[in-house]
Amino acid sequence: MAERPQVAPAARNFGRDETGDSPAARLARLKEGDTVTAHISRWDPGTEPAPRFETYRVPYTKWMRVLEVLTYVSEEIGGDLAHRWFCANRMCGTCAVRVNGREVLACWEPVEPEMTIEPLRNAPVVRDLVIDRSGYEQRVSGLVPWLERREPYRGFPEPLTHPAMAAADKALDCISCMCCFSACPVIGLGDETKFAGPAPLVQLARVALDPRDGIDRGRIALERGAVFDCVSCYKCEEVCPVSIPIVTGSIEPLKALAFKSLPRKSRHARVFLAIVRSRGRIDPSALVLGVQRLTALRHPLRVLKLWRHGKIDPLKTLFGFRLPDIAQIRQIFEAVRGGSR
Amino acid sequence: MRFAYYPGCSAQSTCKELNAATHVVASKLGLDLIELPSAGCTGSRELRAIDPDLFLALNARLLALAEANGLPLMTVCNTCTLNFLDVNKTLSEEPMRLAAVNAILAKQGLTYRGTTRVSHFLWVLLEDIGEARLRALVVRRLSGLRVAAFYGCHITRPPAHFGFVDSRNARAIETVNAILGCESIDYSGRTECCGFHTAAHEEKIAIKLTGRHIKSAKDNGAGAIVTPCPLCHTVLDTFQDQMERDLGSELGMPILHLPQLVGLAIGVAPAQLGVDHHMVPFDLALD
Repeated sequence: MAERPQVAPAARNFGRDETGDSPAARLARLKEGDTVTAHISRWDPGTEPAPRFETYRVPYTKWMRVLEVLTYVSEEIGGDLAHRWFCANRMCGTCAVRVNGREVLACWEPVEPEMTIEPLRNAPVVRDLVIDRSGYEQRVSGLVPWLERREPYRGFPEPLTHPAMAAADKALDCISCMCCFSACPVIGLGDETKFAGPAPLVQLARVALDPRDGIDRGRIALERGAVFDCVSCYKCEEVCPVSIPIVTGSIEPLKALAFKSLPRKSRHARVFLAIVRSRGRIDPSALVLGVQRLTALRHPLRVLKLWRHGKIDPLKTLFGFRLPDIAQIRQIFEAVRGGSR
Repeated sequence: MRFAYYPGCSAQSTCKELNAATHVVASKLGLDLIELPSAGCTGSRELRAIDPDLFLALNARLLALAEANGLPLMTVCNTCTLNFLDVNKTLSEEPMRLAAVNAILAKQGLTYRGTTRVSHFLWVLLEDIGEARLRALVVRRLSGLRVAAFYGCHITRPPAHFGFVDSRNARAIETVNAILGCESIDYSGRTECCGFHTAAHEEKIAIKLTGRHIKSAKDNGAGAIVTPCPLCHTVLDTFQDQMERDLGSELGMPILHLPQLVGLAIGVAPAQLGVDHHMVPFDLALD
């Protein structure tokens, strides 16, 4: 058994004390009788040119959540505030909003003494805090996120083991709240990419990693989901209210399936792998040249400038740099991957 | 203070100045860096996705090399740091995978017990050298230099792992800035993504994602951006001319590697720090 490394994470947490992450720490900053100040985004796109913030002061009650503030505002103060909710219990995924810039479930998020409350990003606003989910839902359904069996259903009860379902297990927790979809910077680029986004890919992973599914999910992940456009920033995981490892547990396994199904189209992954095998280390110029081919040279003046600043070394790239102990790297490749490229 | 030093691929290719600056600054800081022999790639996040077992074995080899020397491992790259932390965690929690990796490493006379402490230069500054000693080493306070921290992703996320709590709370670079005498500014990009990991096949993602953050830093009065990651540096610096075209406005924002900023304050000449290698020139004009 490996010994657990002794890690001193102090520098990773600077600022934790003053901003207080945990719900308990945050609730400790308020007591009954205090006032919660909420700056809520109000907007009717049909009649108003742009969103505006309106400020409401709400009496704090013990263990108060953001949803209670919204309910108080809509019922006691500004009767026409539009917000969506249903279960108030972190199950239905309909009440997601942004509080102080961070995507949260209103029903679960402790209040802050002062907070801005805005609708989710990356979806049109219907009114105030209510967004139009139809674009997201179309993306999800476009990925065919339901089981497609190769073999006929054998009837109930169907034999299914925990180990067989382990890979899909966490993805099954997704409540489609769209928090990750709102936080994803690539989705924020709109039509610039065909990336399906974190939540739709989690929905795809639910079936792609299910042993009963029988269709080529790697192809769907690549051709319809542009899975390799994920930048691995983990912003989706940071906001997921049910703690799904979205990048490592859903998107990365989908990349693996895409690479397996369509290695030629998974060009970046294929070239990356080949460079590490042959050289031991990545030469970024070789990677760009391998992926973009001659189009990498479309700006010759820029290439010359990069060369002049020592950012690229065409001779090393063309004539191949290799680690002195490349045999050790290749031995690892051989042991793990055998002859497969 | 001795560390096994892993520079990573970028600091030995597109950001050679980072490697040079790290060596000279480390020596001034009293860090004895033992560079790992034949240090191969940690696989970025790409190999982790497409071949997790290969990813484990490649990283375990590097961790084992550090362990064989009885040294903690210091990196200067966010993604390499995350890869090492990630592999350490997996191998400490899954003994069967550790055994499988060790069976491969045994052919190279290596074995990994899982004891290598992994740290990043930023964390070494604050956790190993310490604020008091760093402050004592400052010979030229960088007063008047307004610096925007660009943390990048992989030393602040994924949350709830490796000691990361909430990227919004990241203060480590601002803490270092204060010690060095420069002013930290707030802006939109502090813990945002530079898009490097798609830059080879989809440049426009990196250009679109990062240009707006550099503009935000500029609009908030930054004189330079400092980053602890060479991958972020590559996007912020070498793609900046394309971001200017995309935004239709001039940025001209110098991007510094963290060791360069530290070096300027502890009395290392800018030429030794390689700031002239950057695409966007940096001129240190202090109050």
